[in-house]
Amino acid sequence: MDFQPLPHAFPFRFADGVIERTGPAEGRVRATVTADAAAVRENGFPAAALAELVAQSALLLEGGDAALGRKGFLAGISDFKVERLPVPGDVLTVDVAIAGRLGDAVKFEGVVTDGEGGAVARGAVTVKKGLA
Amino acid sequence: MPDDLKKRVKELIVRQLKLEMDPATIADEAPLFGDADGGLGLDSIDALELVLGVEKEFGIKVQDEEVGVKAFASVNALCDFVREKAA
Repeated sequence: MDFQPLPHAFPFRFADGVIERTGPAEGRVRATVTADAAAVRENGFPAAALAELVAQSALLLEGGDAALGRKGFLAGISDFKVERLPVPGDVLTVDVAIAGRLGDAVKFEGVVTDGEGGAVARGAVTVKKGLA
Repeated sequence: MPDDLKKRVKELIVRQLKLEMDPATIADEAPLFGDADGGLGLDSIDALELVLGVEKEFGIKVQDEEVGVKAFASVNALCDFVREKAA
């Protein structure tokens, strides 16, 4: 399938694009951690950015709107566990599955792994569709 | 068994939303959402958490937002909703 870029702009763009869709709002997203990313430059990749990465991945799979610039925002984090912080050069994959939705609030389960398949983080994020 | 259902619903609300309060202190008729006097002040994200909790606890799916708003108006409303769906 065609590579689908996320509308978020650098430096607050962690997810690169969709690798595979496995169902409605479910699939796999790629995220390359570059040395010049603002999140990495000073204090390393912050743990909170991993939750944002899962949210961006979820919204990509939900149908990011490039014309609008953004389709939603991270509204909640639950049971989120970080195994290790990413470093420049990591090519991460984010597997996302929908847990539930009500109106414009959607909860997703996400699993972040590195290129070797090692665990990086897992947990749930809730996103709200629309503008903050 | 109606009191048992109310107890389960109140415990579900506290557990699912990770509230730091005694479930027994939630009034049966108090509004769960909004800032009304005596209400819990829950929001739409909490509503989604309750939807997932009700699905797990009672096996009842809530897919329509309007139904959810009505069903989660209060503990009594949620008990009525569970009874109706379980009947």
